[in-house]
Amino acid sequence: MMSSMSEIVKNLKTLVKKLEIVEIDEREVKIEIPCEKTLNVLSFLKGNGYSHLSILTAVDWIEENKFEIVYVLFSWENGGKFVVSTKIDRKKAKFVSVMHLWPIARFYERELHEFFGIQFEGNDDMRPLFLENWDSLPPLRKDFDPLEYSKEKFPDREYIKDVIYEAKVIRGDLNG
Amino acid sequence: MANHERNIWEKIADQLRSKSLWMLHYCTGCGAIELPPSMTSRFDMERFGMGPMATPRQADILFITGYLSAKTLRRVIYTYEQMPEPKYVIGFGSCTLNGGIYYDSYATINRLDYYIPVDLYIAGCMPRPEALLEAFNELMKMIRKGEANGWKQYKENYDWYKNNQIRSLGEVLVHDEFHE
Amino acid sequence: MMTIIRVAAVLLTGFFVGLTLEGVSRKIIARIQRRYGPPWYQNFIDVFKALSKNGITHGWIFDFGILMALGGVIATLAFVPLGDLVAFPGLDNLFIIVYLFAVGALGMAMGMVGSGNPNSSIGVARALTQMLGYEIPYMISVSAVMYYYKTASVSELMLSQQDSWTLLKMPLGGIVAFISLLGMLGKKPFDTPIAPAEIASGPMVELSAKYMGLLMLMHTFSIFVEIGLFVDIFLGISNYWTFLIKFTVIWILATLISSVLPRFRIEQVVKFYWKVPLGLAFLQALFVLLGWVF
Repeated sequence: MMSSMSEIVKNLKTLVKKLEIVEIDEREVKIEIPCEKTLNVLSFLKGNGYSHLSILTAVDWIEENKFEIVYVLFSWENGGKFVVSTKIDRKKAKFVSVMHLWPIARFYERELHEFFGIQFEGNDDMRPLFLENWDSLPPLRKDFDPLEYSKEKFPDREYIKDVIYEAKVIRGDLNG
Repeated sequence: MANHERNIWEKIADQLRSKSLWMLHYCTGCGAIELPPSMTSRFDMERFGMGPMATPRQADILFITGYLSAKTLRRVIYTYEQMPEPKYVIGFGSCTLNGGIYYDSYATINRLDYYIPVDLYIAGCMPRPEALLEAFNELMKMIRKGEANGWKQYKENYDWYKNNQIRSLGEVLVHDEFHE
Repeated sequence: MMTIIRVAAVLLTGFFVGLTLEGVSRKIIARIQRRYGPPWYQNFIDVFKALSKNGITHGWIFDFGILMALGGVIATLAFVPLGDLVAFPGLDNLFIIVYLFAVGALGMAMGMVGSGNPNSSIGVARALTQMLGYEIPYMISVSAVMYYYKTASVSELMLSQQDSWTLLKMPLGGIVAFISLLGMLGKKPFDTPIAPAEIASGPMVELSAKYMGLLMLMHTFSIFVEIGLFVDIFLGISNYWTFLIKFTVIWILATLISSVLPRFRIEQVVKFYWKVPLGLAFLQALFVLLGWVF
């Protein structure tokens, strides 16, 4: 089981030169690749049994000014998992679609477009999927402030007395 | 709101309504898990004449269990307006009261009575089935006394409620790509 | 004048006894599930509460359908003999009753489809399919009884059971009729048309308040027609009081059976009815033709 996974990793090293490999677990390997090689690596892994796209998601690294796009591929033959991650520029959030490899990626990409504002070339269906009438920054970006948005959009209850302050006094956090 | 005197028929009707409450649960929140124990043999809600109903048309109580996202709030408003009068709303858990642990979420509302009239709140995260049954008893008392008038308030202050709904939701109408 | 009083007596019996027994059955189901259960008069409260609310109509076909359903079932009930209480003596022909009973079912189908909700259309389609399932074995087993006694009048059929009950003379036919009765009542293995968690209580999905109250009354009366016919035809001679006792026993038996069974899918219902009960009904008809009756 493990041998086949290490073989694939060895083959991948010949395919892509700049490759960072993190072994998370016996059956889970994370590979970080430059973004222009992503499609090659994904189709290679798909051809080697890792044919199930478990999830396609993104992480916002605001200090590095990057979006990390993560594909989790699963094999039904040996239960192994490859976490393929690549980083794209945060300013020009644009990437290639993998819809021709996995048709279901259409919905993941729609979701990423909705929550991070990442465009996917090759996927023309970029309608919002979960949110309705969204009118602000994409909500999972780190520069979006949910508390401020919530205060502006969904009014809070106005209490006659400050119960949270009183609770803190009772608990002893503050000296009343 | 001016409390108008009920005539004898309305008083009798209120007695009947308080003893036969059919519920529609809106169970997208985590509070739904408290309903099975309150319905089954431990607490047995049916002994008060209460029971679940499958459609808003037959329901008397709209029971909101937990947080409501902006998206589900649209459906709840639809559901509430489909119910025949008189109708009562119970908000269950802190999330309907002041947002609860979702007070800073971009997708969930912070207070339910800003959008639809709520007759009774049950505070807690989670309230136990005892609290639930206590609340139902309280609601029955309120109905008997003619105090559960949320549905009248909704009719009288319809513009206020509609403005609030539109302020938070943009548009109450549901557009659904899978049905259009 | 006497006819009017007798009709009123039949309808009032249907109303009070029917609603009481529905409450009792809720209590029995609660006790089987180890709950305390609602009081026996809960269904009266439910009906009157539903009538006290303001409903929402869906056009005149909807209104007319509900009235036709309730009126049709009330008209049917007036023809059913309750033991020795016969509202129209000499007119209680089985064919009249079966024919009139269809008016109520069709009125309900029309009104519910008129509401325009897809769930109610699915429910009505299921109800009519299920009717197709149980009517055939039921009619065959009842025809065998009619052939044997050479009459179609329900009170004649009842009075012909001097020596012993039809149920004992033709046990297969009785069993078939009882299984069909469960389907007619919409009791548990056969409650596919009103599956609440599946199609949101099916035909009733758009019924609000007063309409719901009228439909609950219609349901009560139709229970009375269905079980009443079974008691009259199969359970021997009875006067008004023994009729009610036999009625209660059958109703409680149906409740007990239904409270421990899950639900069939609609095609399973039809397959079941057209295999076991239909076969037994044909067998019973054959026995009657051959004269093999106990």
